[in-house]
Amino acid sequence: MFDGIMLGLSTVLDFNNLMYVIAGCLVGTFIGMLPGLGPITAIALMIPITYSIGADSGMILMAGVYYGAIFGGSTSSILINAPGVAGTVASSFDGYPLAKQGHAGKALAIAAYSSFIGGTIGAILLMVAAPLLAKVSLSFQSPDYVVLMFLGLTAIAAFSNKGQFLKAMMMTVFGLMLATVGIDPSSGTDRFTFGQPDLLDGISFLLVAMATFALAEALVNVVKPEKKDAKNINDSDTPQIGSTKLSKAEVKEIAPVIGRSSILGFIVGVLPGAGATIASFMAYATERNLAPKGLKEKFGKGSLRGLAAPESANNAACTGSFVPLLTLGIPGSGTTAIMLGALIAYGIQPGPMLMQENPSVFWAVIVSMYFGNIVLLILNLPLIPYFAKVLAMPKSVLTVMILFFSLIGVYLVSFNTFDLFMMVGFAVVALILRLLSFPMAPLLLGFILGDMIERNFRRSMMISDGSLSFLWDRPLTLSIFIISILVLLFPLKDYLMQRREDKANA
Amino acid sequence: MMNRELLGPSLFLALFTLYAVVAWQIPLLPFEEYETVTSATLPKVYAGFGIVVCLLSIGSTLLKPREKTNAGDVLEKSHMLRTFGLLILMVIYSAALEPIGFLISTSAFLLAGFFVMGERRKGILLFASIPVAVVFWFLMTQVLGIYLVPGDLWS
Repeated sequence: MFDGIMLGLSTVLDFNNLMYVIAGCLVGTFIGMLPGLGPITAIALMIPITYSIGADSGMILMAGVYYGAIFGGSTSSILINAPGVAGTVASSFDGYPLAKQGHAGKALAIAAYSSFIGGTIGAILLMVAAPLLAKVSLSFQSPDYVVLMFLGLTAIAAFSNKGQFLKAMMMTVFGLMLATVGIDPSSGTDRFTFGQPDLLDGISFLLVAMATFALAEALVNVVKPEKKDAKNINDSDTPQIGSTKLSKAEVKEIAPVIGRSSILGFIVGVLPGAGATIASFMAYATERNLAPKGLKEKFGKGSLRGLAAPESANNAACTGSFVPLLTLGIPGSGTTAIMLGALIAYGIQPGPMLMQENPSVFWAVIVSMYFGNIVLLILNLPLIPYFAKVLAMPKSVLTVMILFFSLIGVYLVSFNTFDLFMMVGFAVVALILRLLSFPMAPLLLGFILGDMIERNFRRSMMISDGSLSFLWDRPLTLSIFIISILVLLFPLKDYLMQRREDKANA
Repeated sequence: MMNRELLGPSLFLALFTLYAVVAWQIPLLPFEEYETVTSATLPKVYAGFGIVVCLLSIGSTLLKPREKTNAGDVLEKSHMLRTFGLLILMVIYSAALEPIGFLISTSAFLLAGFFVMGERRKGILLFASIPVAVVFWFLMTQVLGIYLVPGDLWS
């Protein structure tokens, strides 16, 4: 492990890579602060740039963008009560009241320190957990991968918002179907191409990611503007930043909260499908339950604990979500799904062999997370007053710029205008689905995992002579399969409980 | 009018059914005839599973007591027109990029985009469009060495 850390350090400390971390954090913060735009959009917009700088640097840049976007989301949550990312919604519960009371600087400082410590604890746990899990996963075979990917797909649907399970499942299936377009790599048969030669190579991952996230998010903000978008924010809405200093008593109060929430956040982040949003809400609820009676009532009215808990948990969860990606090659969230797609585009297959075949990528990602946290703390905190001005940027300019960068980003990779037409088509579909409250992350996960599922499924069926017995032949496969089924049945419990409540109320 | 909650699953049901029809028509190669897993296997599984999920969703929506539509969910006509305008602009930009080149098409797209978004300040309309296109073109072609179409019509 020590050698790995040194390798990661030497990669990240390269001048160019260091610049990429800093640039990633700044750009991520900038985009994350804009209400309605999250880390997935930020990363999607960066992908075309990363194609020209190599895998190590590309992953470092994207990790920086990820962290920056989460931090930027916290800033808009605290300053204007408009979370840019779902993972920072819980931060607005106490962050915004604090800002309204004239403690915006203090709230932002708590967010920065909590994020830094949460991310650092997460990075340390990742350094320990990832190599261990990578070693264990070396014994994984094709059937294990099939059920693991099945678990990933069902988990992201099961953990989606209440009542959205079936919608998430439809989106997953839609993503899987899109992955079948093009020439089947095993037999050479072309599927769902309708005679269109541009579809023979399948649909580009970048195109789907950009259309469903960057383009669709920008268009949703036009068709259904948020009450507090950039156009509606005036100077009186953005509170004065004020002092960022914390007293000794305040530090003493939030220190154990940050420690507990970071560990909780990391564990939740490792679980496929859970991620930063669930981690931040869980940490918030846990701390409210643990708080002494007098402090419990302060939750929701500007509690320091109520801000520190979700902030440390969401950053630790972001780090935790890299564990399944780096060790098993299975993304647990929409953001890591985009990163998986980018890695595959570089010709790198994430999974247990990543640590051995591409150790510089593996360790550079881990070490860059730590550097990302440092950059956010020392660079972003003093820059917050300037970043806050971003919130007043005209929406008319911003939206069109996002559309332009998305279109030209895809064009610069394929140099094919057919992709641009297809992208606009996908954006229209994604826009309609978003307006009908369909989640987008399951679609992307299904699309990215579709090809891997098919390849491993074929291999498994060949090994078991065309029988589905591979699902129960090995205890490991069977265990993961049972967990997947339980996860699939998990929303049913909610549904039955809801029906019982409805009957009781009737 | 169709319940908003039914619209999504119904659209998906239609799409998945169409996908199923095409999946059943995927031609099998001679050597695939005796294989358990062919290029059509998983598409058929996905189609079947997708249709079941859609039917479950439609069934559960029909069984649920109907909720009142939130007034905030109704889209404003002006916002819809603006979105439609941007979509049309994107299609025109995609079609014009190669024939008339990056510089002219991008400048025009940005300028028209700002206009559609309601921007009327001449300073923003001009300075956020043409200079952005020129700087981007310079960065791509002169600094990074990436080829950008000069325009088929005049090259």
